[in-house]
Amino acid sequence: MRRGAEIFLACLRAEGVELVFGYPGGAIMPLYDALEGSGIRHVLTRHEQGAVFAAEGHARATGQVGVAIATSGPGATNLVTGIADAKMDSVPLVCITGQVRSALIGTDAFQETDVFGLTLSLTKWSRLVRSIEEIPEVIAEGFHWAREGRPGPVVIDIPTDFLKAKMEFSGPAKFTPKRRPQDINGEGAFAHVISLLGTAARPVALVGAGAKLSGAIGELRQLLDALNVPAFATVHGLGAVPPTAPYYLGMVGMHGTRAANMALHETDLLLVFGARLDDRVTGDPTRFAPNARIVHFEVDPAQLDRVRSCEVPIVGDLAQTVPAFHKRISNAKLPDWTNWRGVACGPDRAELDPRGLAQPTIRFLDELFGRLPENSVILADVGQHQMWAAQRYRSALPRGFITSGGLGAMGFALPAAIGVQLSRPDATVLCVSGDGGFQMNIQELATVRRLNLPIKMVIVDNKYLGMVRQWQQLFYHRNYAETDLSDNPDFVEIAKAYRISASRLCEDAMSEYPVTEETGEAFERFLGSAEPELLVFDCAPEANVYPMVPAGAALSEMLFEEE
Amino acid sequence: MKVFHIYYRNTQGTLMRILTAVSRRGIEIPYLHAAASENGHRVDLLLEVNPKQIGQLCRDWHAIVDVSDVRVGVPTVEMLDGTGEMSGPQPPVAAGRRSAGAAMA
Repeated sequence: MRRGAEIFLACLRAEGVELVFGYPGGAIMPLYDALEGSGIRHVLTRHEQGAVFAAEGHARATGQVGVAIATSGPGATNLVTGIADAKMDSVPLVCITGQVRSALIGTDAFQETDVFGLTLSLTKWSRLVRSIEEIPEVIAEGFHWAREGRPGPVVIDIPTDFLKAKMEFSGPAKFTPKRRPQDINGEGAFAHVISLLGTAARPVALVGAGAKLSGAIGELRQLLDALNVPAFATVHGLGAVPPTAPYYLGMVGMHGTRAANMALHETDLLLVFGARLDDRVTGDPTRFAPNARIVHFEVDPAQLDRVRSCEVPIVGDLAQTVPAFHKRISNAKLPDWTNWRGVACGPDRAELDPRGLAQPTIRFLDELFGRLPENSVILADVGQHQMWAAQRYRSALPRGFITSGGLGAMGFALPAAIGVQLSRPDATVLCVSGDGGFQMNIQELATVRRLNLPIKMVIVDNKYLGMVRQWQQLFYHRNYAETDLSDNPDFVEIAKAYRISASRLCEDAMSEYPVTEETGEAFERFLGSAEPELLVFDCAPEANVYPMVPAGAALSEMLFEEE
Repeated sequence: MKVFHIYYRNTQGTLMRILTAVSRRGIEIPYLHAAASENGHRVDLLLEVNPKQIGQLCRDWHAIVDVSDVRVGVPTVEMLDGTGEMSGPQPPVAAGRRSAGAAMA
């Protein structure tokens, strides 16, 4: 006879789980009691939101399912932002929540919350376990759905009495889905795309997260090389196309490059590879790629036609559809798009206004990124620094840039960096945050210290909620309502209180560029340390991210300065 | 008005997932009927939706793990009139009053 908690952990091991993040509490205590000897390493964060973001970091860096554990009630509700984040960004995640005793469910017992109901619209699949016997099946099915197709979050809510109960355990269950994905493509769809390519004058390719999630990076790069059409990426597609590719135009969207946004506006045939086409990418949907016919390679049919109808949906895992399509076009006679490439990729469409490149924070990030080893992972929190970092990201590492893109959850980066560093101990992990976001999960400095993770943490400190302030400046007549953070604490002293080495760099250090030897040494000290390090970059309070497509404008209507 | 017939396996929360796809868009549901059908369960929803919403809803429903089929049809007169039979109040008013009285005693 084995306890439910032991069975639960044995089933997690059977799913390949070796690392989980969590925070104990009343209802989940039996699971924690059984952890020792289970073969699973548990990382204690200092808040459940830290745990779920760390689990996401692990999942985003490795492609494996991330696992977060919390107790009932407030423990479970603290996971909710991370669950929503995983849903938006297609992250395979299993959240395990303890629940009050089954006999107490529905009585508003101490720390009882309907976490199943609370997360219904945020999860891909969820279960409230109803007996100890269900545990193996629920775990097998939950992990299946977390990984399958478009990955996503799963919640398994388990009453504490089932974790304590005992039963004979014959081994983990296997789940076989009853429903098969529908194959709605065929030769006809590929033939249609080839005919569209045959008549297209200005084709482009837009690459999203799906390319990475499917593991089809190599195949996609081969296809893009063969097509040789202007290509660009969403924030989650960064790294999927090598920045050195002559047809690559950088990031597209609200803060995308001028070249990418103009090409997307002018195209007559848009090939989309694994992207949701959300409003940050499309701008005004009625004026998005206004002359384009759209071909959409996508694993999740629910993502098709959300903002614009696509002419040809190619539904399926990109790992299958991309090579199949590549094979199909290898014998096709395609037009010569040299002139179009010359326009779209030409020098007239330099990616940033020269004044933008001279901005101290841009120089700071360029200097920092340029000194990173090749296998580095950059995490960006949410706000201006996130967009600057995305604009300046120059790596061809597909899982090398990690951020909360869809949900835009401030406070994501630091705990996510913990998950990344634990999964990629060989990699340099650089965590770039703003002064607002860093304070949302600042308590995770304790986790960093306890595990002695050599994460390199940067705070771009402009003493504002910078992105909101930028919008207030541009669209709300400079009414900086409640975005002033000029009374920020001294982050260097805070880091020291956590026994983490910290230093400060003023933006004046970037006035000379290339940087002075002294400044260069400061960068080297920061990146070269085998310990966690914090670097606070003091920058001008009113620097803005450009280009910027105002909300509701077309992609061609970029701002390059305050008008 | 369109009527949607959604076929699903009656697993935990599947009906609620079907309904939240509607409610998150602020669409009202003037008629709803859920019952067991030949191969699982079926819910019929009468909705005032535009063509774009039809496409989005159908795709959202298809993406739910335990939804097996989605069909769009024409509403029946009963659906449009909302003339489905109503039973008495549950719990009966008198019983409710008795409980309240007992609690106050």
